[in-house]
Amino acid sequence: MALISLRNLTKRYGGAITALDGLTVDIDPGIVGLVGSNGAGKSTLLKILLGLVEPTSGDATVLDLDVRTRGTDIRQFVGYMPEHDCLPPDASATDIVSHLALISGLPRTAARERTAEVLRHVGLYEERYRAIGGYSTGMKQRVKLAQALVHDPRLLLLDEPTNGLDPAGRDEMLELVRRTGTEFGMAVIVASHLLGEIEAVCTYLVAIEGGRLLRSAPLGDFIEQTGTLAVEVDEGSTALAERLTADGLAVVVDGRAVLVAISDGRPYDLVRDAVAELGLPLVRIEQRRHRLEDLFRDVPPTEIAAARAPTGEVAPGPPVSAAPTAPGDDR
Amino acid sequence: MTDATTAGVASSGVSTTAGPTGPTGSIYDIGYRRYEGPRLGRAHAIRSLFFHSLRSTFGIGRGGRAKIAPIILVGLALLPAIAIVGALTMAAQFGVGSRFANNAPIRYDTYFSSISTIVVLFCAAQAPELFGRDQRYGVLALYFARALRRSDYALARIAGFVAALLLIELAPQVLLFLGRVLLSPDILGAVGDDLPSVGPVLAQAILSAALLGGLSMAVAAFTPRRAYATAGIIALFTIPNIVAGTVLGLGSSVIGTWLLLLSPTSVLDGTNSILFGTPLGSDFFFIDLPNVAYVAAALAGVVGSIAITVRRFSRIAT
Repeated sequence: MALISLRNLTKRYGGAITALDGLTVDIDPGIVGLVGSNGAGKSTLLKILLGLVEPTSGDATVLDLDVRTRGTDIRQFVGYMPEHDCLPPDASATDIVSHLALISGLPRTAARERTAEVLRHVGLYEERYRAIGGYSTGMKQRVKLAQALVHDPRLLLLDEPTNGLDPAGRDEMLELVRRTGTEFGMAVIVASHLLGEIEAVCTYLVAIEGGRLLRSAPLGDFIEQTGTLAVEVDEGSTALAERLTADGLAVVVDGRAVLVAISDGRPYDLVRDAVAELGLPLVRIEQRRHRLEDLFRDVPPTEIAAARAPTGEVAPGPPVSAAPTAPGDDR
Repeated sequence: MTDATTAGVASSGVSTTAGPTGPTGSIYDIGYRRYEGPRLGRAHAIRSLFFHSLRSTFGIGRGGRAKIAPIILVGLALLPAIAIVGALTMAAQFGVGSRFANNAPIRYDTYFSSISTIVVLFCAAQAPELFGRDQRYGVLALYFARALRRSDYALARIAGFVAALLLIELAPQVLLFLGRVLLSPDILGAVGDDLPSVGPVLAQAILSAALLGGLSMAVAAFTPRRAYATAGIIALFTIPNIVAGTVLGLGSSVIGTWLLLLSPTSVLDGTNSILFGTPLGSDFFFIDLPNVAYVAAALAGVVGSIAITVRRFSRIAT
């Protein structure tokens, strides 16, 4: 039984802006990275999962509860860490977290105890009695995480948890997320546009772009995928591309480079021979590691299609041409 | 599954300068336990938010500065009652207690209008504390992500504020009652004399708290900026009076008097006179409006302001 189940989930704002477009995916417990550029629909998806935003069409269930009708029940068992600032500066961490624990349905004594525990868990000690206005960004992020954990949710939704943190603070936050997910067995969804972070903590990855599912697979599948051979020449890239296409390879010209798909067979000999016979000034041949970033680069559509095919969990519709990351309103 | 050690090392992401790979999180090792206790759900959430709002209105649970305005204004609201009880004590010593008690200018029926300005100032100062803070600092996102609905949030906050106003309206009346009864030579007789006033006092206090509180919260719901909300609340409670007064001054006493129904404080003067059966004291009221007009205006104000506030929070973006 899936933790989260989305069926053809679509959200449009005012008929014009499409935040989510026919998203179909099942998500199982674990630490799940929800990755996409700004405006890809990550925050909208999290709000739909919380029952705060009504989907335009399609269905979504969280913990087997329908987001349309069981929002308050879902939220009792879900913790949410928003992307933006959400803490009153004149309250102390203890004040706000214990107050929010009550609002989450905990009895008064339990709220107090859980507040102390969870603030210790995120690494706030004596400073938890001071006003939040004097906290560093890192401490504020910890309080935000603590309030999401205080009622011991079954599912934790984190929206850009490392927002505004320096590298050290970012590593500490990610370590906290990882511990929370692995050692306490809590299901976690981490939305982020920073792919390096996703690699560090997640076991499973859901990539969305322009409101559509790009891919959904265990993290290993994303990284191990063989990738692209980039053949960079000073001139004659078009001629090289024609030649390689004639040899039966899937290629795309990218400026001075020719990108060759190497998912089937090993085209190195063909490339070497083609470059030699055409007498092109070769700069370099490199195998681009198929890291997560490649998902959002201007990669050949054929490669995306090849990458999507084996998963079997692709959304219906035409293949997505992985558009260059366009800045947009992250609804 | 990401193995714990690799994740720890790889957590630097793009950076390859792996420093000491010691466990960065080991200091957090103690303490996380699962919670197996009861989850009391929506009703508990609403109740908690109600009491939090009530306390916050008086600055309780907040810093010292947040308490200054409520303490001063509550003190001012109590002052007439304290003064009259003090005077009653003196009068009782001179043996004219009952005569003074019956002719004192500050009585159950006059108390509400005598402190109405203070209550309005209290609304202007404290209503923005509840709704403004939550909007200004984005706290709404945290509330709405919990086991309550948006309308629950709005109603619990309004109810907490109205309850706070009710305390301010009733506390001086209780003081007045205790003073009159305990200083009377015939305590049981005094209780019997004053008991009929309890109903009107309660009704007027509830009406007044709900109308002034509901309207103040409706204004406060629309801006995260404290100064705007305070100015808006004061404007709402004074401008209708000024407009009605101007129309009256221009000689249109009928229209002017009807316009007074747009002024919350004048409406409350009207319901006060109906409940206590006393004539309207204000110079404004040139004609007698039907009783039902005041009551209808008050109820419309209460229901309308609450509906507007609930609607506002059902649409607000978080």
